[in-house]
Amino acid sequence: MVADNTLATPEKPKKKWRYGVNRWFVLLFIILGVFANRAFSPILPHIQLPAERYSHTPLLTLPVIGDFYWTNTLTAAVLVDLILLIIALVVRKALNSGKQVLEGFAGAVEAFLEMIYNLTESTAGHHAKKIFPYFATITLMVLVANWMELIPGVDSIGILEPSSHGYPVESFLGFAETLVKGEGAGHEGSTYTLIPYVRTLSTDLNFTVGLALISVFMTQVIGLQARGVNYLSKFFNVKGLFSKPIFGVIDFGVGLLEIVSEVSKILSFSFRLLGNIFAGTVLLFVIGSLVPVFAQSMFLMLEFFVGLIQAVVFGMLTMMFMAQATHGH
Amino acid sequence: MDKEAARLIGAGIAMIGAIGGGLGIGVLVSGAVQGIARNPEASGDIQTNMILGIAFAEAVAIYCLVVALLILFVI
Repeated sequence: MVADNTLATPEKPKKKWRYGVNRWFVLLFIILGVFANRAFSPILPHIQLPAERYSHTPLLTLPVIGDFYWTNTLTAAVLVDLILLIIALVVRKALNSGKQVLEGFAGAVEAFLEMIYNLTESTAGHHAKKIFPYFATITLMVLVANWMELIPGVDSIGILEPSSHGYPVESFLGFAETLVKGEGAGHEGSTYTLIPYVRTLSTDLNFTVGLALISVFMTQVIGLQARGVNYLSKFFNVKGLFSKPIFGVIDFGVGLLEIVSEVSKILSFSFRLLGNIFAGTVLLFVIGSLVPVFAQSMFLMLEFFVGLIQAVVFGMLTMMFMAQATHGH
Repeated sequence: MDKEAARLIGAGIAMIGAIGGGLGIGVLVSGAVQGIARNPEASGDIQTNMILGIAFAEAVAIYCLVVALLILFVI
């Protein structure tokens, strides 16, 4: 079977490796890193919060919204979608291979999805089938988007642009150019900053706000579907307004506060993800320019966990709010 | 005072709010660890809720961080 071979082969050559070979590779890369840093010492890149544009001329102009630029986080969004599609195709191929137990990567994806499905079912009960797609989609997309910052080349390969507060440029091994430390000649046009081709998707506020809007809006839709008009009594609590004059008014005020809390969910969702991941990239930049050799590895490990936890938290909070909306109180 | 210096001091002051998030996470994890020590079988549920609570407590500190980053890199 064809699918059999592609899934089983990557496992086999690893077993032939003697234990302890990998440590010499680590040592080799550390020594290589020392020499590389002597030749081209890393710099602190220019940091900005809005996504960088590839060119200053707009791609197209929409009637109401205005100019539309192709930004580097938009490229990252396309890449994230492609990666998710590839994952889906790999898992589909493994499912069609007819095996009872999936192996390798497809097995890992299955175990992950099964875990979060069980979590959904234990929280949301019989609404789990409706809520699970949002949970899984948001978690997988944010996970891939967050882990992109760990790939070398993201945030560091791109177009050089003349700038007054940049770094001088030097030829790199004959086929490319790199920014190097130093003040430059000081006049305009001799120093450059980098516009990366790909920037981590979660460092763009548009992405996080978009996800938060989808999450909060679909929470209302699922609440309305599950409980009908009764769901609105959470916001406009008119039941006790006439039967118990004083506490009814208080209940009505509390209901209005629920609207504020729904709006603040959008803020908290979007800024939590943006803050964590943007701070992570800035941390990696600063550590990489302060201690160029090896120290960044530990922070990459930290960012690995931060990316995982933030993705799961975003999805899990969405799931819990949706489950809450389906319950009466 | 220099405008640049005021900006840097402001970013530093904005991060004072991270004290709250730190205290909150400390209290949360201490409670969760005590709960797990008393009832190790419930560790799965406790861990899930603990991570959710940490995410909420951390969000406050992250707001401070976002304000500091805005002061540093946007304004």
